[in-house]
Amino acid sequence: MTLNGWLQIVFFLALILLVTKPLGLFMARVFNGERTFLDPVLGPIERLIYKLTRVDAQREMKWTEYAVAMLLFSVVTMLVLYLLQRVQSVLPFNSQHLPGVDSGLSFNNASSFTTNTNWQSYVPEVTMSYLTQMAGLAYHNFMSAATGIALAVAFIRGIARREMQTIGNFWVDLTRATLWVLLPFCLIGSLVLVSQGVIQNLRPYDTAQLIDAPSTQLIAQGPVASQEFIKQWGTNGGGFFNANSAHPFENPTPLTNLISLFSIFAISAGLTYTLGRMTGSQKHGWAVWSAMAALFLAGVLVAYASEARGNPLLTGTDQTAGNMEGKEVRFGIANSALFATVTTDASCGAVNAMHDSFTPLGGMIPLANIMLGEVVFGGVGAGLYGILIFIVLSVFIAGLMVGRTPEYLGKKIESYDVKMAMLVVLVFPLTILALTAISAVSPSFGTSQLNNPGPHGLTEMLYAFTSGTGNNGSAFAGISANTLWYNTTIGIAMLVGRFMMIIPMLAIAGNLVRKKIVPPSLGTFPVTTPLFSTLLVSVIVIVGALTFFPVLSLGPIVEELMF
Amino acid sequence: MMDVVFIAATVGFFVIALAYVYACEKLRGGKDER
Repeated sequence: MTLNGWLQIVFFLALILLVTKPLGLFMARVFNGERTFLDPVLGPIERLIYKLTRVDAQREMKWTEYAVAMLLFSVVTMLVLYLLQRVQSVLPFNSQHLPGVDSGLSFNNASSFTTNTNWQSYVPEVTMSYLTQMAGLAYHNFMSAATGIALAVAFIRGIARREMQTIGNFWVDLTRATLWVLLPFCLIGSLVLVSQGVIQNLRPYDTAQLIDAPSTQLIAQGPVASQEFIKQWGTNGGGFFNANSAHPFENPTPLTNLISLFSIFAISAGLTYTLGRMTGSQKHGWAVWSAMAALFLAGVLVAYASEARGNPLLTGTDQTAGNMEGKEVRFGIANSALFATVTTDASCGAVNAMHDSFTPLGGMIPLANIMLGEVVFGGVGAGLYGILIFIVLSVFIAGLMVGRTPEYLGKKIESYDVKMAMLVVLVFPLTILALTAISAVSPSFGTSQLNNPGPHGLTEMLYAFTSGTGNNGSAFAGISANTLWYNTTIGIAMLVGRFMMIIPMLAIAGNLVRKKIVPPSLGTFPVTTPLFSTLLVSVIVIVGALTFFPVLSLGPIVEELMF
Repeated sequence: MMDVVFIAATVGFFVIALAYVYACEKLRGGKDER
């Protein structure tokens, strides 16, 4: 590790700290319906959308209505994306004359982009036409991110409101998230990326003449910049190119690398401030932010230290630069370890280095981050409502410790809330572990697709199902997942990991919104203190560690001990 | 043929999800309200 590397990491965290308040305040104003500086431009567009879609913006929804609207919206858009991929060969903007996408892969990819996962078991530049990339994938980058933000805001309303029945209007939240929080920033961000060399065109691919065999090389083109910024800003992570953010057309300079990192965390960090603002407890928002920052620093410390010490299999060779296998020289160890930590703390999944080539402990950090629920700032919206589930569990445990009915910001946490929280917590490992176990004992369709035997092979399978269920989308690599088994099972895992966790989460919001506010008393566990942040971190780590430690011990931990 | 399978699987999943919404609401059953 170097001082330079740590200065870059600290500088990055300082930027996230600086953006938290202004962005959080802006989002609070947007979702409270207060005036913002963008209203003169976006207000008429918003009203036109409601008029065309016949949405009554004043009508509020119960949690069940909110959930049904979200589900119907998701199923329709997912089916449209499926069909778009299937018939892309007869549609325009297909300069490479790419055929329609295979049905299994179309299902997997439609599930992937609808759920904000962006898992890609294919090479995008030779599979997806420009139209599919723009109207299918980029569209879902916006919509899945806006859905996540809408859900987080609905949960916050559940906490903030008292003795009500409704948690907002899904269509209004979706529209406002898209128009105010995503589009303007993406417009500016994409132009900045273009200025740095990220390409944006609709040209056929270039052919370069080489001086050695093979004599020519195809250089893929495309509308990259417009997809690149939302890829990070919406924590989607799906690359225009297979190499993702390691590709020089996606991430050409140190500045674009920093912009990528910043964009991944910005909205999620801001939402902690929005939480504090809308619930009237700003200190609570910062307490949540602190817990997230502590987990982030712990993760990046282990990843950076593990990669900086080099590959133990190559002892005796010059490894002063660290374990550089699978990494871009231009990014080096610090920015590769930082990127891997950030992209899996959030449910982004973009990569600028190959996680499969990390050392066992270095590679375990991205895996563990996803297993902890991606609540370290997390995916846009998903990170906040994920950590709110852990907060419910934390105050419940604190209540048990002092023998008192647990409260959260004045709302009593009762048996129904804890049951729903447990449904959220349990569906995640159940899906991952069951599908990994089936694959691990199935040579014909499971282990036959692995590039490595032993513990590393287990980690490759485990990572694939964890990434899918956690809606992260990053690939550990080393597994050929474009098969009927993996496309279908990971496709289903992504749907389960998204919607079967959202529904009980919304049920908690719908239950909390009905409750009265109980005045704080001497027995109330304060959720604004360092003690609360510590307890929250402990609950997140313990729940993750207890659930996944056995399988981690068979994968990366035993691999580390084999050196 | 596979198109029918995958479209049916997608629609089937969301039908189950819709049922899950109402199952969660039914589980609440008006208890625990304060």
